[in-house]
Amino acid sequence: MLCDLCKKNNASVHLVKIVDGKTERISLCIDCFKNLAMFSAEGFLDEIPKILKKVFESDIKMGDKNDTEKLFSEIDNDKDKKCPFCGSDLNSIKNTGRFGCEYCYREFKNIIKPIIKALHGSTKHVGNVPIISGDEIKIEKEIRDLENRLRDEIFVENFEEAAKLRDTIKKLRGRLYVGRKIE
Amino acid sequence: MNSDTKTFLKKFNKKEDLNYIEKKEQIILTTRARIARNLSNFRFNSASSKEEKREIYKLLKEAFYSSNSKDDFKFFSVARLNKVKRFFLVEEHILSPEMLSKINGRGVIVRLGKDGFDRSLSILINEEDHLRIQSIYPGLDIGRVYMEVSNIEKDLSNRLRFAYDSDFGYLTSCPTNVGTSLRLSIIAHLPAIVAAGKIEEFIENLINIGCSIRGYYGENSDIFGNLFQISNQVSLGRYEKQIIEDMRAICLNIIDEEKDALKAIREKNEPVVEDSIYRSYGMLKFARMLSYGEALELISMIKLGQDLDIIEFVKPFDFYQLISLLGESNIILASNKDLRPGSNEVDKMRACIIREKILKRN
Repeated sequence: MLCDLCKKNNASVHLVKIVDGKTERISLCIDCFKNLAMFSAEGFLDEIPKILKKVFESDIKMGDKNDTEKLFSEIDNDKDKKCPFCGSDLNSIKNTGRFGCEYCYREFKNIIKPIIKALHGSTKHVGNVPIISGDEIKIEKEIRDLENRLRDEIFVENFEEAAKLRDTIKKLRGRLYVGRKIE
Repeated sequence: MNSDTKTFLKKFNKKEDLNYIEKKEQIILTTRARIARNLSNFRFNSASSKEEKREIYKLLKEAFYSSNSKDDFKFFSVARLNKVKRFFLVEEHILSPEMLSKINGRGVIVRLGKDGFDRSLSILINEEDHLRIQSIYPGLDIGRVYMEVSNIEKDLSNRLRFAYDSDFGYLTSCPTNVGTSLRLSIIAHLPAIVAAGKIEEFIENLINIGCSIRGYYGENSDIFGNLFQISNQVSLGRYEKQIIEDMRAICLNIIDEEKDALKAIREKNEPVVEDSIYRSYGMLKFARMLSYGEALELISMIKLGQDLDIIEFVKPFDFYQLISLLGESNIILASNKDLRPGSNEVDKMRACIIREKILKRN
């Protein structure tokens, strides 16, 4: 039986969802399955049965081929994307099962959201938050504004301007500094 | 008994008093809370360079000691510890097994209690995440372990900026730990549930309500001695308070289930259980060498025998303390000899300790 998604390899993972007597089935080859699971780290593979259970109940309906195809095309588009801070790409994250830095989470947010949803059943943090000073909030807002402008400049291919903005953002980020001491 | 073992046991006698006057239930043996944090604007440990790790190590150590006295805490560079001491800290659940092999750029800070290391507070630097704060207390004590880690985290957050996202919460190396990054676990001793044949159903129920259930040494470890490590799976999308309350309810349920299983066994009065218990007693009484796993399996059965009031010739004992004391590195350290873990010498000593300490002379 061929994989429902790539239609090239043999399917070895079969996912069946039975709700109210109705059966939805999707069959995947191990590569497409791994892509979906995103992490091939050993410990993580043990979690797959539980995750799949949650995935079935989450935004991605495995039975709905349109959704999964959408996810896969997003993975494809982001294949060569690298995290601007640590340089990790999806492949290295997939192979180690670990993220390189905090910016990876932002850079690959679209791919990550369904995974996080499958793991935790939620994609919105509640609970304790870090206490940030007023100055830092200002700097963070400035960074967000600059990032929006950066996106626009790249879109209109104003690369020189974009580079300047990128440098400014980097400097500002450095001011949101770690290890600051309270005087 | 040769003079070697005599000297060794003398040291043991000085160290702990294993015999209790009051009988303790000991269904929940320990409670643990763990919070993970990473410094903002530094790469996580899977992607960082040696220099970065060294910088993080320095920053965290300084931040901690700027408000905590060096008298109350002991700092270890994992690489500088000898193998046995490292192994000891792993057996005590202060270090994770991963830290046995990858030792560079890693440190651990342990609170000093009156008897040496205290598991009530330990801080790991550069394990899977930059910072892991953990607390272990005997019995069921979720509130206390949480307060311990939370206080340290709050204190450090005044000096350090942690990686955080408004959607995903605190960010960690592995996505299973994002959000509150709070992992609560307990070690439960459940010989009755196992003996009553109910363990598979029990495990499945726990998994369905969102717990992970593992052997004594956590991820990738086998189950032995009827000891189970049960933790929450989800750390994102729930308040810390919810995680705590849910875990507390789960623990009370576990205690009830074990007690029910004990009752059921008592009522059924099947000879198989009594036979297992007495066979275990026989092994403990006469075996000259006992491996750690085997010892715990047998002692677990003796404990069950005591809980069922079946077995008589055994002094009441503290299972929690015994688990620590009979560990490989504990025995090696107490013996003051250069013994290999798992060697016959260690297994011999273990059998001897058990005969002297748990079994009455009759």
